[in-house]
Amino acid sequence: MSLHVKLHIRLPIALDANFEVRGFTALLGASGEGKSTVLKALAGLVPSQGEPFAALPPQRRPVGYLPQGYALFPHLRAWENVAYALGGKLAAQRQAAIGLLQSVGLASQIDLRPSQLSGGQQQRVALARALARSPQLLLLDEPTSALDTTTRDDIMAELVSRMHQLCIPALAATHDASLAAMSDWVVLLSGRRVIQQGPPAEVFARPVSVAAAALLGVRNRFAARVLRHIPERGLTLLQWDGANLPLYAPLMSSHPVSALVDWAISPDDVRLPPLKPGLAGDTENPLQGEIEHLVVQGASVAAALRCGQERVWLRAPLRLIAHHGLRVGATATAHARPEHLMCWPR
Amino acid sequence: MSLTPLDTAAAPFDAPHALQGQTRHAWWVAALGLSGLLFLSLPFAGLFISTPWNALQLQQGDLGSLRVSVFYTLVAVSLVVIFGTPVAWWLARHDFRGKWVVELLVLLPLLTPPLAMGLLLSMSYGPYSWIGQPLGQLGLNLTNTPAAFLLAQVYGSAPYFIVAARSAFEGVPRELEQISLTLGQSPWRTFWRISVPLAGLGLAAGVALAWVRALGEFGIVLIVAYYPQGIPVKLWVNLQDTGLSAVYPLLWLFFLIGLPLPLVLGALSRRRQPGR
Repeated sequence: MSLHVKLHIRLPIALDANFEVRGFTALLGASGEGKSTVLKALAGLVPSQGEPFAALPPQRRPVGYLPQGYALFPHLRAWENVAYALGGKLAAQRQAAIGLLQSVGLASQIDLRPSQLSGGQQQRVALARALARSPQLLLLDEPTSALDTTTRDDIMAELVSRMHQLCIPALAATHDASLAAMSDWVVLLSGRRVIQQGPPAEVFARPVSVAAAALLGVRNRFAARVLRHIPERGLTLLQWDGANLPLYAPLMSSHPVSALVDWAISPDDVRLPPLKPGLAGDTENPLQGEIEHLVVQGASVAAALRCGQERVWLRAPLRLIAHHGLRVGATATAHARPEHLMCWPR
Repeated sequence: MSLTPLDTAAAPFDAPHALQGQTRHAWWVAALGLSGLLFLSLPFAGLFISTPWNALQLQQGDLGSLRVSVFYTLVAVSLVVIFGTPVAWWLARHDFRGKWVVELLVLLPLLTPPLAMGLLLSMSYGPYSWIGQPLGQLGLNLTNTPAAFLLAQVYGSAPYFIVAARSAFEGVPRELEQISLTLGQSPWRTFWRISVPLAGLGLAAGVALAWVRALGEFGIVLIVAYYPQGIPVKLWVNLQDTGLSAVYPLLWLFFLIGLPLPLVLGALSRRRQPGR
């Protein structure tokens, strides 16, 4: 279930990629960073040097490639798309093709053409087609892009679990942090190179840079200056110029005073006072501001807090928002614990 | 959504007077288009009106010219498809330095007036010419022979097929061909099972265009292959010898054999691509 990838690509973009594929791996990068190029290089569609499958033509590489939009053959029915990949006469492979389609949970739509299938169904046909040649590695390019937002999460969860059942390592190029959160291994691609890889819990908890945090979907990203270090309390005091606020952060004694740092915080870690009020410590970093936006997302609410020139997003349960009587235009105070602040030198 | 003859779905909904202006505008465009269409179809209506339906009689040699035209056009179009398809594929799928030269070479026979093309052919393939003479010594005479007739038809129709087939191949998403390769299928199978069916509509249009051009080739044929006489030259001979009254039967036959192939190919390829 794991594979080491070491690629050197020169065209269409120069890129060096050196990472592990473990189980369902998300290759997370912004658009234009070359995620798709890495996949195409692994499929042999873009010239590259390195491992695996060096120098093999695409038709001899044991990979299953699902491009963005799935690229089903529009002139062939669902089962014919799969039968084509099995080789030989289509009619002779009908039963085998139907078996593969059933194994991905598609039984009744086998005689339809791709244009008559939904995004999720097309994805399953493309998956069955890719599985037809028993690949050693599945490559999925932006697997969430062609799906309806309403069914997307279900289909992705199903896809990840299906990959586990198949016991085939899969590499999914995506810009979707929520897909990365579901995966077994995350590889972050930024500035045309791999900047971080690891299990999602670790990567999401400790992004190596502000660029990594951005890829992981951390919306609250700001700049601050080091004011002084307080080693006895394990803290560093920052000056957040954008909001004109002092902030306590974990000790960063290696950063000199007045150095610029990037800092970020997950909206989940910007907290409103709890239902049962307790005493907040003086290092809780109170963030006071006017509520600019309130967006209900199921049982939770995303709220934007205006602090000086900056906007801080927080996420809180709906009942907590109701309890505090928060609405757009109201003033609110949230807290950010120092240990939740992620800081990186500029 | 709209009562106008043209699709004005994009017109703003909040301004009735603007919509009215658009409606009037659309009617104008429709009227112009219709009159253009009418103008184009007038000669064909004229054929129906002028044909002496009670006195239709084939001239001597008319049936022979029909046989010549159908047989050699079939051969010529086959040759054009066999040799033109690789050229079209190459132009559609490969980029190389100096590609414009190849494109120009393909277009040259198409841009040259047929009569001039005939003269060029007789300069090169005529009995005393630089290619014709050595070929003649080998027993291949390319003036007023079936081979010369084919030669004229191929020069007249090949560029049309190549241009149409190239754009048909260019219309096939390259990604689908790449996917076929990643599925372990050979480039050859990919070409026949993916590229050709998906380019079917355009390829059929190319074949139909080549068929009509080869069948109707007059200018080049007149110079290099007055014999064997196909329908176009025979029509001209009938007109010269007897007059307009002598062309009707053969003209109708000309339409009967010229039009079905393009129409059938068009219908077939449209039916085979319901996904589009």
